[in-house]
Amino acid sequence: MVSVTAQNIVKHLGKTLVLKGVSLEIKPGEFFFVLGPSGCGKTTFLRVLAGFLFPDEGRVFFGDRDVTFVPPHKRNAAMVFQHYALFPHMSVWENVAYGLKVRKLPRNEIERRVKEALRLVRLEGFEKRLPLQLSGGQQQRVALARAIAVQPDLLLLDEPLSNLDAKLRAEMRSELKALQRQLGVTTVYVTHDQKEALAMADRIAVMHDGQIVQVGIPTELYRKPRTRFVAEFLGDANVWEGRVKSVHSDLVIVETAFGQVNCQPPSFTLREGEKVWVMIRPEMVFIAFDRAESLSQPNTFLARIEQTVYLGETVEVVAKIGETSVKALHFRPTNGGLPNEVRIRFAPDDLTLLPYEVAEEAAL
Amino acid sequence: MLKGAVVYEGQFTLDFFALLLRDPQLADALKGSFGLALTSTALTLALAIPIAYAMVRYRLPFKSVLSVLLLVPMISPPFVSAIAVRKLLARFGPINQLLISLGLVDPTNPPSWLDFPFWGIVILQVLHFLPIAYLNCVAALARIDRSLEEAAQSLGASGFRLFRTVTLPLMTPGLFAAGSLVFILAFTDLGTPLVFNYTRVIAVQVFHRVEQALEDPTGYAMVLLVMVLSVLIFWTSKRFAERWQVQTIPRAAGETGERVLPLPLTIAITAAISLVAFLAILPNIAVVLNALADRWFMTILPDRWTLRYFQQLLVYPLAATSIRNSLFYSFASALLDIVLGLAIAYIVVRRKAPLPQWLDSAAMLPLAIPGIVVAFGYVGAFANTPLDPRQNPVLLLVIAYAIRRLPYMVRACYAGLQQVSEALEEASLNLGASPLRTFLKVTLPQIVPHLIAGGIMAFAFAMLEVSDSLILAFDQRYFPITKAIYALSNRLEGGVQMASAMGVLGMLVLGLSFVIANRLMGRRMGEVFRM
Repeated sequence: MVSVTAQNIVKHLGKTLVLKGVSLEIKPGEFFFVLGPSGCGKTTFLRVLAGFLFPDEGRVFFGDRDVTFVPPHKRNAAMVFQHYALFPHMSVWENVAYGLKVRKLPRNEIERRVKEALRLVRLEGFEKRLPLQLSGGQQQRVALARAIAVQPDLLLLDEPLSNLDAKLRAEMRSELKALQRQLGVTTVYVTHDQKEALAMADRIAVMHDGQIVQVGIPTELYRKPRTRFVAEFLGDANVWEGRVKSVHSDLVIVETAFGQVNCQPPSFTLREGEKVWVMIRPEMVFIAFDRAESLSQPNTFLARIEQTVYLGETVEVVAKIGETSVKALHFRPTNGGLPNEVRIRFAPDDLTLLPYEVAEEAAL
Repeated sequence: MLKGAVVYEGQFTLDFFALLLRDPQLADALKGSFGLALTSTALTLALAIPIAYAMVRYRLPFKSVLSVLLLVPMISPPFVSAIAVRKLLARFGPINQLLISLGLVDPTNPPSWLDFPFWGIVILQVLHFLPIAYLNCVAALARIDRSLEEAAQSLGASGFRLFRTVTLPLMTPGLFAAGSLVFILAFTDLGTPLVFNYTRVIAVQVFHRVEQALEDPTGYAMVLLVMVLSVLIFWTSKRFAERWQVQTIPRAAGETGERVLPLPLTIAITAAISLVAFLAILPNIAVVLNALADRWFMTILPDRWTLRYFQQLLVYPLAATSIRNSLFYSFASALLDIVLGLAIAYIVVRRKAPLPQWLDSAAMLPLAIPGIVVAFGYVGAFANTPLDPRQNPVLLLVIAYAIRRLPYMVRACYAGLQQVSEALEEASLNLGASPLRTFLKVTLPQIVPHLIAGGIMAFAFAMLEVSDSLILAFDQRYFPITKAIYALSNRLEGGVQMASAMGVLGMLVLGLSFVIANRLMGRRMGEVFRM
């Protein structure tokens, strides 16, 4: 178990500036995720941690040890590659034993550790097979076994589940999480799949355009994103433009295209008259069919239902308040359809205010 | 057709083989050929692997220049260089003069290098086959998924251990391909041993028996043996090469994967590669010097220069006719190759015929069947027919050239067709165009550069084709360039110089063709020379 510290990492690939000063602190034993869209630099960052790339600026520490320019084979940081990178000319056993043979461990110790690693990934009995004779999921497990067999200080995972089909991916999520808990090894996992990150991570760093935008535990990132990019990357979101009307101690009143809304005060400071984004997750939008729901209450609006998509456990609803679209989820749908006209209510706690930055939205 | 001819005669009985092995001269030649080919192949690979590794993996200065220089030996057939090298190595020739002036050998009794024809042939073959082995090794390295090496590194492996346990095993299919190509080429090389008067190889024995082909069945047995052997090696390596064809993963943009080495090491490696490249080009330089030398006796470099021999080429009947002949033969065979190559490639790539795999293997087979086999087969098959090469070899020469270079043409067409998305063709069909119209209007225009490049290569190689030419052309009137060079080199007065002048001409044609073809094909050029 080791902590990992990245200090202001800058890296060019060719002429492109890929990492623009990335700083992170990863705690010992933590299951840490780097989440971002493709091309954001997350894989480059992982390769810097692995030692395949040396940063142009900045430093990398494993614990107190400065490993910035230590070559990969001296880092004891095992990596699981996106395409597994299993040695095609070696059997499963030889693949898993490879790192142990390199470390010149005694035979019986190698035997024991390979067995243990294969048991952990539930691949006993496959020792003699060649990688090409295995399914995608099995190859994935071999790659994992090979990495954990060397008992690395740091486990690096590069989109390890992206080549599996949806069902297997869901299964592997919980398995991976349990395995990481059991081993207690510091783990950095790179992915563009926000569901993977939310499901497994102790903490997530969201990366965008070569920079870390926000670091936090899953619920915090999902519920209290600090930028519009994070809000939209982590899940479905309604985002509207608004203008601050008044700021109170426990309340901010914002004027939007469809009327006034009362919102929870944000962590950043706002002045009256400033532009701001108002964000709410679809599942937090409350749909009332009851006409008794009074429109005179704050945050309650009359809406027209434009479109419904039946998804089994929920119905995705697109409604319009005036000219503004609102996405909402309707749970426990019945056989009967929804009425054309509904009342929509937002709880002030669920309305998140985000700083108004135009430039960032263009990139999304 | 050609196989049938050989097999038909060979099938009478297996006694000929017994005869073959009992004949001490032939058994000796068989052993000689094996020894020669094994030695040349081993040395070629031993040079090609480290050079390819350094060129692919390390950042070196002048890399693009070096990579061109390494390919230069391809522009002349080894026997043309052999003629010049024979001169360099003569007892009082330039090499010994250089060594004498450096005080390394005794001026009164310089060593007689030509007493060791075996090593002379080996050196020439190694230098000449190096580019092909190098290209194959580069391709083999490029195909390795780099994340496999990174995986090994992250598990703690490095340096030679990494190379031995991961890189080398993954290169093996490519190495096998390179090795078997070189082995077949060396095993059946006719020109070089002929020039060195080295008869202890199969190819030379076959050559000397062509004249009596019809009476002496051992010639057939020998050719059949060579062919079976070559095809066996070829197919083994092809099957071997198809293993572990792991899909390569595109690298992140900007990551070249080239390692920067410490300066002294970089200089040492660059110098070593330059030295090899220089040695490999030396025979070609010798050809040029020979052609331009007016007086070159007892000195390191010629002391008087002349263009006389080039002027003579234009008037001397044998030279002028052979150039005209070669131009015609080569042009015709290149045309034939374009048509055949395009048809085969289209069928294989687009899977429009049953058994495309089989067709692919068949199209590549000429790589394995040595020129001496093809030529000998023709002589046997068409003797005493209207096509008898002893009467008029033109048609057979054209066909032989075309067949021998067909694989390169097919390769060039593959490369072209694979770039044309099948969806484009489907779109055209979907819009109502007939298959023929689709092919002519959509597919063909996009692969024209590849067709021209392949055609130029076929043309250039045909110009310098050795074994078919030596064996098939009996009459001076029909001599192609290479046979004329061979004939000239055996004359005393100025023959070697004129032969060299023709060699220079040939090298210019081939060199120019490479440059043009390279322009047309871009980076996919290397694929043409792979197995």
